[in-house]
Amino acid sequence: MTPSARLQTAVARGYTRVTASALGPRQSAVVRIGFSFTWLLFLVREWPHRRELYGPDGPWNWEMAARLIDGNRAFTALMWSDSTVWFEIVYALAIVSSALLLVGWRTRTMSVLFMIGVLSLQNRSIFVGDGGDNLIHLMSMYLVLTRCGQMWSLDARRVARRADREWPPRDTTGVVLWAVTGTALLWAQLFTDARLSLTADGPLPGLGWGTVLWGLWLVQAGWWFVRRYAPGEPRTVLDALANVAHNGALLVIMAEVCLLYASAGWYKVQGSRWQDGTALYYPLHLDYFSPWPWLADIMASSGTLVMVLTYGTVIVQVAFPFTLLNRRAKNAMLVLLMMEHLGIAVMLGLPFFSLAVIAADSVFLPTNLLRWAEARVGRARDRLAARAVWLPGQRTRESDEETPAGTLVR
Amino acid sequence: MADTEPEPAEREPTGPEPQEGEQAGSEPGGSESTKSEPTESEPTESEPKEPTEPTDPKSTESAPDGDVAEPLTTLSLPAQLIIAVAIAVAAVAAAIHLSAAFLNVSPPNTLTKRHGAAIDDYVYPEFERVWKLFAPNPLQQNIAVQARAEIRTSEGGTATTGWRDLSAQDGAAIHHNPLPSHTQQNELRRGWEFYVGSHDVRERPQGMRGNLSEQYIRRIVMLRLGREEDGGTVERIQVRSATTPVAPPPWSDEKIDTKTVYRTLPWWTVTSDDLPEAKRR
Repeated sequence: MTPSARLQTAVARGYTRVTASALGPRQSAVVRIGFSFTWLLFLVREWPHRRELYGPDGPWNWEMAARLIDGNRAFTALMWSDSTVWFEIVYALAIVSSALLLVGWRTRTMSVLFMIGVLSLQNRSIFVGDGGDNLIHLMSMYLVLTRCGQMWSLDARRVARRADREWPPRDTTGVVLWAVTGTALLWAQLFTDARLSLTADGPLPGLGWGTVLWGLWLVQAGWWFVRRYAPGEPRTVLDALANVAHNGALLVIMAEVCLLYASAGWYKVQGSRWQDGTALYYPLHLDYFSPWPWLADIMASSGTLVMVLTYGTVIVQVAFPFTLLNRRAKNAMLVLLMMEHLGIAVMLGLPFFSLAVIAADSVFLPTNLLRWAEARVGRARDRLAARAVWLPGQRTRESDEETPAGTLVR
Repeated sequence: MADTEPEPAEREPTGPEPQEGEQAGSEPGGSESTKSEPTESEPTESEPKEPTEPTDPKSTESAPDGDVAEPLTTLSLPAQLIIAVAIAVAAVAAAIHLSAAFLNVSPPNTLTKRHGAAIDDYVYPEFERVWKLFAPNPLQQNIAVQARAEIRTSEGGTATTGWRDLSAQDGAAIHHNPLPSHTQQNELRRGWEFYVGSHDVRERPQGMRGNLSEQYIRRIVMLRLGREEDGGTVERIQVRSATTPVAPPPWSDEKIDTKTVYRTLPWWTVTSDDLPEAKRR
């Protein structure tokens, strides 16, 4: 083959690869589940403190937030009204959208609501967040562009069950959800101080939140319409466009994780404490980050252990992006990083930060592992279902559930 | 879970396994020349596949929507053009986004000096990254925020309370707590960082952020002290920070002074703006 012919085939293959499917369906599902779970757990944990953290009368009150946001133009639905009722509605919606994104119900809509919830709460009180919040903030926006509900979701189950029924589906629930979100958006645009501009004050220069939110809403309608009335080529084109967006967003997510570790590692290289091998000793003795002082004492009892862990942290963080070139090395590094963050969760009392980082790391989990887990869970559920069939009253429901799961395992 | 159609992912062996082509730093559609055909790369996987899975690459693809997509090669020219443009747009957008992300976390350099305003414009407010955790050096001192109050007693006199260590209260709440709240771990700690970052050494506020940070500290303190303290009404408060270096590890021969250093702010008169509204009403 001549070089030009080879190039041509390569381009054609690449073209097929990025348009024909949304890559990493399980990995994107894990990222979806990881971040929605982290945020849901956080919201539930902070339920007693929600008004102090984000409410109109917290220490960082509504007027102070308004003054700061006047300057930085960050997006938060909480500035649309200073009433406590509105705050409670937004907080409740944030919880509900996280839970529904977690189980993958109407993933496309829920990912947008999830993003709105995350940005609304975090931008309302930027001085109570930490690195974990920051990561959730970024990923909530990227998730909107990914097709993260292809697997391990109620959406996927619905598709599987519908296969032998009406096609194309009327999808009443989807239409209702679309109408409700559209009405809510219209209300925000017309009757609140939302300032949803088309070209200004948005996530990117020249792109306003008005364009983003109305655009996503219109895409939903277009998707439904094309699927129902134009099943041929338009359907294929839309599918390809969605795959391109997904693959691009997934690439950005992976690159951001690399950037996270690279920047964390390279800056540490310059620090005297990371060089003399005592760095890990210090955070363990800060009052704000030592929930279990006896654990810290055990750690601090061995200078060699602290040094090995200190050097290991830097080596792993600096090396991680390069280990992606080798599958085995990458998987080994992934295990080390996840274990380190589990350690941070307990030792430094940063569970939500650690969960968020682990959720981001999961984008690199090997497909074989995820398939294995999928099969295990499927089998476990089959056994449960088989047992549950014997319970009177549940018979119809459970046997209904058994069919698709059964086909998967067999 | 996963009771979707049988394995639509057969055509995409490892997903974001980077060595399969989607290398970090490359754009989708931008560097396919080095990529291998997905079906060829299938056997290179080190671990064996689930043999039980039905292999049907043309199965109802592209999940949540289920129905069969036409092969892309049979598309009309306009359709192919739309997709090609979309790939180009996505590739350029990803490249710009990741460049901005890189320059956002990189140290000041030639490019950030030349294009600093454009990068900031792109990155703020939604794409900021605060990842320099414990770098270049971890924090090596405990910074405690303490407060005392001047109260008007019921007899009409004034008195000054002792210092209350608000950070120690946070620390006690975090102690043996597997899930510390942001109100305990971040509120006062980061509020104080905000104050320090927006004031000069003579405690003069720098712009609007300086004023906001003072009010924020006052409101945090008043939330924790309460309007009534030691049997009197709080009229003025004073805040100080107590910075104590962490002693070097026992195996280290380093000698450092672990004496506590105080930074004491002027007295602030408490106004109704400084009280949590719930208590004022």
